[in-house]
Amino acid sequence: MSFVGANIPVLHTERLTLRAPTMQDFETYAEFGASDGTHFIGGPFTRDQVFANLCALTGHWELRGFGRWMIADKETNAALGITGPYYPVGWPEPEIAWTVFTQAQGKSVAFEAATAARRYAYQVLGWETAISCVDPANHRSAALAQRMGARLEGAFKHPDHGHLDIWRHPSPEAAT
Amino acid sequence: MQIPTLTTERLILRSPRIEDFETFAAFYASDRSRFVGGPMTREESWRMLATEIGHWSLRGFGRWAVEERETGRFCGVIGLWDPAGWPEPEVGWDLMDGFEGRGYATEAGQAARRYAYEVLKLPTLVSMVKEGNTGSAQVAARLGATLEGVVDHERHGRMQVWRHPGPEVAA
Repeated sequence: MSFVGANIPVLHTERLTLRAPTMQDFETYAEFGASDGTHFIGGPFTRDQVFANLCALTGHWELRGFGRWMIADKETNAALGITGPYYPVGWPEPEIAWTVFTQAQGKSVAFEAATAARRYAYQVLGWETAISCVDPANHRSAALAQRMGARLEGAFKHPDHGHLDIWRHPSPEAAT
Repeated sequence: MQIPTLTTERLILRSPRIEDFETFAAFYASDRSRFVGGPMTREESWRMLATEIGHWSLRGFGRWAVEERETGRFCGVIGLWDPAGWPEPEVGWDLMDGFEGRGYATEAGQAARRYAYEVLKLPTLVSMVKEGNTGSAQVAARLGATLEGVVDHERHGRMQVWRHPGPEVAA
């Protein structure tokens, strides 16, 4: 027997809960998936693709022992975005990834959530370093990497996603 | 949600795992996957494998990795599937390359269907078969399902809906 999703912890920050994705998140995610806001992350996505992506969030935890959470509003539990340690096949090394749904953008949600995710990667998973992979045209995301103290280190060419910049985060000692 | 292990005469149905990835990716890179959403890149296959596992958590059921009892080799992904856009839950089967023609899809499909009826208490089941996928349609027919109609799927296009015998008949 294996318990799918049982290894996904819940994290709390000042305004947010990072938790396992559920079917209740589907409509919000699907609305975002259909929008232009997904331009830098391979979208827009059909409902069918969004469902697959939602499932894959939990599956990644099973395959790697870590993965991304649904970012939820601490008060209402509404889904605001996705963040966490992410390491699909073809990535140069594990990264801290983030996506914030359109209606939650501009409120520092990604900063608050991704900082908690990075702390988890360092303190719980024992990562000694972390990167974030960012589409060079995605200025909002690059600005967040910078705000988190990361430095532009280089780039790689992904067979599906094309050119991605590699931002290197401060070390565990410097970041926490 | 826990993924149970089922055993049939020749097969074990178990949780998919990372060791299955290369075989899974080879299937999804091949032309044989054209009826089930492929061909796919390696990263898409990776996400698909993660999706297979996560489906259990979101729906309470899903598809198993099927293993040959005799050799331990991973030979297929078979089980219950109900993604967004599906008309209702189905029993589906994908055999990895080189495992066709042995009756494995029928054997594992039957076990998955029994699980759906006896454990999940589903009242009915379909199988969605993309038009032109005669091998899969033959498995559905062998399992006693009958062609009921067609639907148009946003990504897969035209798909046949095969209706399985109900719990009383199929068990």
